[in-house]
Amino acid sequence: MGLWLMAAPFLVGVAALVVAPALVTLVMSLFEWDLLQPARFLGLGNFRELLGDVAFRASLRNSLTYVAIAVPLRVAIALGLALLMHRRMRGVGAERSAVFFPTVIPDVAYALLWLWILNPLYGPLNLLLGAVGLPTPSWLTAAASARWGVIVMGLFLIGEGFLIALAARRAVPGELYDMASASGAGPWARFVRVTLPLMTPALLLMATRDTILSFQATFVPALIVTEGGPPPYGTTYLPLFVYRNAFEYLRYGYASAATVLMFVLTASIVWLQYRAIDRARRGGLWAGSGLGGT
Amino acid sequence: MRPTPLVAAALAAGLALAACTSGGGDPAPGEPVTISVWVAGDPAETQAFVDVARGFEASQRGIEVDLLQIAERDDLIARLSTSFAGGEPPDLFLMNYRYLGQFESKGVLEPLEPYLASSSELSAEDFYPEAMAAFQSDGVQTCMPQNVASLVMYFNRDLFERAGVEQPAAGWTWNDMVVAATELTRDIDGDGAVDVYGLGVDPEIIRVAPFVWSAGGELVDDPERPTRFTIGSLKAIRPLQAFLDLRGVAGVTPTDEEAEAADFETRFLDGTLAMVMESRKVVPSFRTITDFRWDVAPLPVHERPATILHSDAYCMTSASEHGAEAWTFLEFALGPEGQRIATATGRTVPSLRSVAESGAFLDPSVPPASSQAFLDAIGAIQAVPHIETWPEIEDVVNALIEEAYYDPSGRGEAGELVLAIFDQTQPLFDRANAGG
Repeated sequence: MGLWLMAAPFLVGVAALVVAPALVTLVMSLFEWDLLQPARFLGLGNFRELLGDVAFRASLRNSLTYVAIAVPLRVAIALGLALLMHRRMRGVGAERSAVFFPTVIPDVAYALLWLWILNPLYGPLNLLLGAVGLPTPSWLTAAASARWGVIVMGLFLIGEGFLIALAARRAVPGELYDMASASGAGPWARFVRVTLPLMTPALLLMATRDTILSFQATFVPALIVTEGGPPPYGTTYLPLFVYRNAFEYLRYGYASAATVLMFVLTASIVWLQYRAIDRARRGGLWAGSGLGGT
Repeated sequence: MRPTPLVAAALAAGLALAACTSGGGDPAPGEPVTISVWVAGDPAETQAFVDVARGFEASQRGIEVDLLQIAERDDLIARLSTSFAGGEPPDLFLMNYRYLGQFESKGVLEPLEPYLASSSELSAEDFYPEAMAAFQSDGVQTCMPQNVASLVMYFNRDLFERAGVEQPAAGWTWNDMVVAATELTRDIDGDGAVDVYGLGVDPEIIRVAPFVWSAGGELVDDPERPTRFTIGSLKAIRPLQAFLDLRGVAGVTPTDEEAEAADFETRFLDGTLAMVMESRKVVPSFRTITDFRWDVAPLPVHERPATILHSDAYCMTSASEHGAEAWTFLEFALGPEGQRIATATGRTVPSLRSVAESGAFLDPSVPPASSQAFLDAIGAIQAVPHIETWPEIEDVVNALIEEAYYDPSGRGEAGELVLAIFDQTQPLFDRANAGG
């Protein structure tokens, strides 16, 4: 009972701010509702309409592409930086802070900064690329470049994943590296046979968490930097699609149906990742690491 | 388990929240009534409404105005819809007629017709009927227009004079415009890149529409209750192709990248754009120009003069508990004094005839010198429909026009564009007409 009481504030918060809105969203997805007039029951009508909606299909495709590219890149960069900065050395604190710093910048300020950086003619990125003789992409006017621009924006927001990777790397016992070195293992072999297996639970956790976040992380960049374009729907991702339908077109039921599909999609990917983790755990991928193996 | 402290804390929090959110109710005797007014726009645009609100407060005691300035129209719509659902909408809000369809006929707006009929300060005949008509629903005046702006052509007089190009004037044609824009588009430093463009125009349906009308075409089958676009006729296709050719063939407007790098308003302010098609809203920022002289002219014509209405109106919400006070504010804002205050900022073309036709608006010593062009255009004004799904239709069509306008192959085809517009907008018309 004491444990439940201690957990009560958190449980109440989750119930009120997560579970209840999710249930309301699920119910709303079955209605047509503009918040102004009484809702009209449509059954699965919203879902049927979504399947034939060009904008929804484009936003679904864009979101899946984003997750497929951005998540591995973000996890890999967080891992790489954690490996570079896990040792105590002069100035490493400042370097770690620099990696974490972009994560605490407010989303809108961060997006406005990138609006300037990605300016196709006057932005520092293209000026730099041009100065060294590299091609200068049309970041905001070509669909493929714009999508890469959104991905690049996300690559600097890895502070939390970096901290997890850093903690996981520092938890690996140094003796294991000594033993590996003594048995003739070089740097690459030590990374593949010691570091990677022992950090795998943390990396999979990061990937799972990043997948969930990534489905939502495109909203502010797409709204402020690319405005969902260039047309047709070049950077319209699922959150922007939901926002426009709900808050601009007052189609809250339709937007709720898209949200439900986004949730199902996210849950499916996370479930697949969980299955992969479970299989790896049962297969003894990280047995004996003390980080979740049997 | 001892829940008492938790329950007490929750009750306290609830009461605090209720205290914070309860904005309605009557004030204590002697205390002023506060009415809430929501407007959208950048600070230069909304300054007019700030000035009007302060002027109103200075003119009387008893009613105060809580003016909320929201940066974007989209955000205003989002806040409005959620405020209606939450039961706490503002007393008044300002909205362009193109976005009013989402709120009309849903019982959330208080028709202003009865207030107007019994008013001793305002009369329907005092306003331009073109603006009044845009805010009527089934013949009833739902909202009251505060301006009657339209699409016009702003031009840099110094650039025209230096290039020896004849300045735009009433009756000039589309071809005149293309010729002038071509002569004014220049690579001054000879580096192969254009330094000054002749024209800036956003590839949007509200920019294309006046030229379809001017060529004798129609945008939709029924302006009041449209069921489909009718831009497949030659009278619509030709001006549409001419519009697309401004970029693809003539090359007199900035490229996609250049337009993305610096918008047309910025380019005009910089003196690197000779002409720009815009409504009245840019005047406050254009009045900061000190490096060159500029003025305004009517749109060029294909066959007959035509332009598009850009009008915003004050709407009262049916949930307002201060309808009488809100109307008192409107009598000031839309009356001679309020309209003069708003006009002074340059933002508005007054909807009140007496102010629009006075020196307060037409003073040639305050740029633009030819503000009369706005009044001359009123007779040629047409409005786009404002059915419930019109905002969606505009977004879809604008994306298609933009794609064709900046077609990478160099020339967007109007025929293909029209087919895509038919295909993607018909479900939206159908949904509006089905009532959903």
